[in-house]
Amino acid sequence: MLVAACVKLVDLRPQVDRVSGAVTPSATPGCSAADRAAVELALTLADSWSASSAVVCCGPAAADPVLREFAASGAGRLVRLDVDGAPDSSIVGRLLAGVLGDLGADVVVCGDYSTDRGSGSVPAWVADGLGAAQALGLVQVRSEGVGSLRATRRLDGGRRERLVVDAPCVVSVEGSLAELRRAPLAAALAARDLPIEVVDAPGVVVPAPLATRPWVPPTRVQPAPTGSAALERVVELTGALVERTPPRTVELPPRQAAELILEQLRTWGYLDADDSTPGGTAAT
Amino acid sequence: MSDFDVVVVGAGPAGSAAAIELARAGRSVCLLERGPSPGSKNMYGGVVYGRILDTLVPAWWEQVPVQRWVTRRSTMLIHDEQALTVDFRNPGWGAAPFNGATTFRPDFDAWLAGVAVDAGAVLVCSTTATGLIREGGRVVGVRTDRPDGDLRAPVVIACDGVNSFLAKEAGMYPHTGAENFTVGVKETIALPREVIDERFAVRGDEGVDIEILGCTGDVPGGGFVYTNATSVAVGLVLSLPALAAGPDRPEELLRRLKAHPAVAPLVEGGEVLEYSAHVIPEAGYRMMPELVGDGILVAGDAAAMCLAAGIWLEGVNFAIGSGAAAGRAATRALARGDASAAGLAAYREMLESGFVLADHRRLRDAPHLVMGDLAQRGLPAVACGVMEDLFTVRNPEPKQGVRRIVRNRMRRNGIRVRDAVREGLRAVRTFG
Repeated sequence: MLVAACVKLVDLRPQVDRVSGAVTPSATPGCSAADRAAVELALTLADSWSASSAVVCCGPAAADPVLREFAASGAGRLVRLDVDGAPDSSIVGRLLAGVLGDLGADVVVCGDYSTDRGSGSVPAWVADGLGAAQALGLVQVRSEGVGSLRATRRLDGGRRERLVVDAPCVVSVEGSLAELRRAPLAAALAARDLPIEVVDAPGVVVPAPLATRPWVPPTRVQPAPTGSAALERVVELTGALVERTPPRTVELPPRQAAELILEQLRTWGYLDADDSTPGGTAAT
Repeated sequence: MSDFDVVVVGAGPAGSAAAIELARAGRSVCLLERGPSPGSKNMYGGVVYGRILDTLVPAWWEQVPVQRWVTRRSTMLIHDEQALTVDFRNPGWGAAPFNGATTFRPDFDAWLAGVAVDAGAVLVCSTTATGLIREGGRVVGVRTDRPDGDLRAPVVIACDGVNSFLAKEAGMYPHTGAENFTVGVKETIALPREVIDERFAVRGDEGVDIEILGCTGDVPGGGFVYTNATSVAVGLVLSLPALAAGPDRPEELLRRLKAHPAVAPLVEGGEVLEYSAHVIPEAGYRMMPELVGDGILVAGDAAAMCLAAGIWLEGVNFAIGSGAAAGRAATRALARGDASAAGLAAYREMLESGFVLADHRRLRDAPHLVMGDLAQRGLPAVACGVMEDLFTVRNPEPKQGVRRIVRNRMRRNGIRVRDAVREGLRAVRTFG
């Protein structure tokens, strides 16, 4: 049996401009707390099941020192899919699934999402590619015997869902689940020159990074106030002392609920009358 | 059996300099660092003077990560709301081979450690040396906080910072009283580059270093302001015993400095990015530990090699100088197969013959002089008062002579001529 962890190299301390959203990279690459928790869980499960372990990464050669850290902590095999840039999550998921399938991974552990605006969808794509069960966003995992996991997943409203997942499966975990063990000194020294299996990923299309700009709330035409006195105009502009439509709660199927929301947005002037899509052009 | 020829504890400037010398001499050297990366836990409040790097990294200025090259040095005396500043500008310091630079320690330390790694040193981060391994009274390695973490080597170079636990454990550090230490506190305040250029009257990569006296209230100490590329660092260095005995907290004293009319216009409108603090070995030569033991050398802040001498505030250059000397001395000792204190004695000789101990010995009275009451209170009060009297036009009263103005101001501040003369002679002997 093989337990594999999937990790991603990210910038741990990027500078993000709070106004423009521009990202200035730092010189501190590494793996997120969730990825490190995933590696720890994979090592723990492999230990308790007397199974093999592997860490797989889809990224550039800069990830190698980080992967060697995991080897020092006890990971059996290190595999890196040689990809520069940031391909779409579906592509990463498919690539990882291919490698994990070749390795013969029975249980795959991922971090719940990467910290570089990750969507958390890669684990699902991996599960789809492997045709394995998936349990994502876990806060607690324990072994129920070889190849079987009892897991707890966070739900909205403070609720928890308890699951039993059997191999073959893909699970993703939050960073609070575990802390990566400290590598013995001798292992840390020995891992410095450890070879890493590099798998080529030819033909991967890396889309150009999306241009980002500050979010600007949509505007709408507001008629000039008509009051004769300044106070009246201010009151009219701010809407103070005006009877308001009280908030209401409706319970509808998703489609009707969405239509109701769109209708309300049209009523308030945020959408054109003929605009029927949520992503439609806002009135200016 | 040894794992390495030398274990260097601490990948700050001293440790990396030692590792560079050893690795270039073909010795196996392990550079242990407590933080996740070199410099990640370090701070300082000043300027890196890189001349000592000339021999270690030729044309270092082409690769070192600097914020600004210092081309203006100012000394400011503050009394109440007044300030007297002596300002020196030298555009020549803004071109190779340069003089000093502001830099962030995480960048600088990581760069220097990278030079050591390129030379062949083995850098192990996130690993704390928790103690010494001894055999027959001789140091033969260190224990670390990792599982199976013993690391054996004939020579250990302790560059583990101002609270050097290794030097203390080796019984080499007798002067650990609080009176020997100060605490430095610093705020890094973000400002646009063009605003810094305008406020400090510099251009391009030019930077400013302002040292301040008289800004710490009842706590002996000093202040500083220096420019980074897009931030300004403002800080204080404060006597630990006075700070502990008095009601003032360092952040309150720093707030007062930032509100002073001479400093507020320099930092107003900025956003505080970081507040940090660090202990400083203030007493210099008089607090230095034994530098050489059987199988162990002590360098950098761990050996109190920080020069706090009023107009000269230097540390990183002494760390690099002492670290490099430790590396060379260890290389020689290993070549002779004698890592005893006698075999490593060349370390002290190198420091004595170079600037590290020569400067510290010559300026050994400076810290006491600068932290004394006359320098802390009397000098700023009299200097600012004299300037006020000199430049206040009181017509129709005629102008007073300078000697009379000085005498009056000294009298008003309770300073006797004989005390001033005595301290003046001490200053001449110390700095002369």
